[in-house]
Amino acid sequence: MNGEYTTVSIPKPLYERIKNIIKDTGFTSVSSFVIYVLREVVASYEQEKIEVFSEEEKKAIIEKLRKLGYI
Amino acid sequence: MVRKLLVIGLDCVPPNLLYKEFKEELPNISMLLDDGYKAEMKTTNPPITIPAWAVMTTGKSPGELGIYGFRHRIKGKYNDFYIVNSRYIKTPAIWDVIGRKDLKSIVVGVPPSYPPKPIKGYMVSGFITPGPESRYTFPITLKRTLEKNFGKYIFDVVYRSEDKDRIVEELWKMTIQHFKIYSYLASKDWWTLMMFVEIGTDRVHHAFWGYMDKEHHKYTPGNKYEKIIEEYYKLVDEKIGELLKNVPKDTVISIVSDHGAKRMKGAFVINQWMIKEGYMKLQKSVGQGTELKDAPVDWKNTLAWGWGGYYARIFLNVKGREPYGIIEPEDYEHYRDELKEKIQRIRGPNGEEWKTKVYRPEELYPVVRGDPPDLIVYFDDLYWRSAGTLGWPTMYLKENDRGPDDAVHDWIGVFTLYDPENTVDRKEKRVDIQDISKIYLETILGETDG
Repeated sequence: MNGEYTTVSIPKPLYERIKNIIKDTGFTSVSSFVIYVLREVVASYEQEKIEVFSEEEKKAIIEKLRKLGYI
Repeated sequence: MVRKLLVIGLDCVPPNLLYKEFKEELPNISMLLDDGYKAEMKTTNPPITIPAWAVMTTGKSPGELGIYGFRHRIKGKYNDFYIVNSRYIKTPAIWDVIGRKDLKSIVVGVPPSYPPKPIKGYMVSGFITPGPESRYTFPITLKRTLEKNFGKYIFDVVYRSEDKDRIVEELWKMTIQHFKIYSYLASKDWWTLMMFVEIGTDRVHHAFWGYMDKEHHKYTPGNKYEKIIEEYYKLVDEKIGELLKNVPKDTVISIVSDHGAKRMKGAFVINQWMIKEGYMKLQKSVGQGTELKDAPVDWKNTLAWGWGGYYARIFLNVKGREPYGIIEPEDYEHYRDELKEKIQRIRGPNGEEWKTKVYRPEELYPVVRGDPPDLIVYFDDLYWRSAGTLGWPTMYLKENDRGPDDAVHDWIGVFTLYDPENTVDRKEKRVDIQDISKIYLETILGETDG
């Protein structure tokens, strides 16, 4: 692993719950699990970086808006 | 003291149907009206779903938000536009404001909400979601729960079809599913604000208004679908009754719409008018119903063009702004004034006077952000919609150019507030849509923090 790290506080009971669910899994620590899950979540909601509508979706939405009379 | 608030958004509902015509048939809504406060709700310019809900939930004008409809022209392009999505809203909505006070919300189908933004609580996006395969909830795990319990989420009913029986079937199916979901979510005990928008009321108006409204040019007495809109309101009322059983007794309840509805008189073919008046030139004639983007527009000899929709957007072809612009920037205001005046004078198919309203965006909004048109036009005070296509034998179409449509939008919607503890002390008969977020925040928090 490289890069800088900082500390985020999470409630102790949540820490314990995570510890329990990663037992016997590929995650070796609560931190590695939290980073993995957060990366997944953050990527999908990140602003600007991802096109909201694919070309195909855009076409379908335009067609729908036409049928609905908005266009 | 923090109060729980349930906001029942019914898209496109006008006061005359909810407060008068159907009221006797709607026992649950009647109770909320009789024991609560009701007002006319003055909507936004333009009276269009996306800006209207965004204005209501943020308290900002369309100009401040930079949102003027479902789509905006990409600067300097003749035919390219982008679809408005949740990321264009840069102002905190009521659920963001109360979230900062650690109060949680459940928000379902409030446009524009795709892609769903992080929220303290739950967010399910609305009818502009591409489809049930999209990530339409926050948190994402909510999607799985909803699908497991209620099947694939039904985002909309595409109604522009003559197959009316199918529309009825799909409208009922969608609405029943939605209310099951609203009831399920309402039964969570952790929320302070729950707000949903049911789009079915808008769809039923557009598809069936001509079958109900005796003044509509399509109306025939005793037709098969005469009571469909009323039946749909009864369904919504019944489902609201069931929903209220899942909501704590001391919850404040508000019913609100984003704009009203009235009969459509027809569609005015704006670009044929532009050609007739010498503002637009085609290189050759086109077939009936040709889209502007497919028409051989002689841009080097075109001064202005228009878009279709419930209102018309007019764009000027300005040198330095558009690729083949011919209006010198110093002549821009001259042409804009001239067009404004001429459009205002357009008369109906029988030479009758129209109450057409034409605005420069800066006349309507204190701040004008984003990509507004050069002029905003409401033909005959919205009775006539704008058709953007070309090649028609007349400028006055009885039907919408996109297929059958019976209703257009109107300026006045509904706003109600019912508090079982009877604390609502409002007297005004009309509420401006832009003031609603403040009223909701006051209701929840007992005060506003500016």
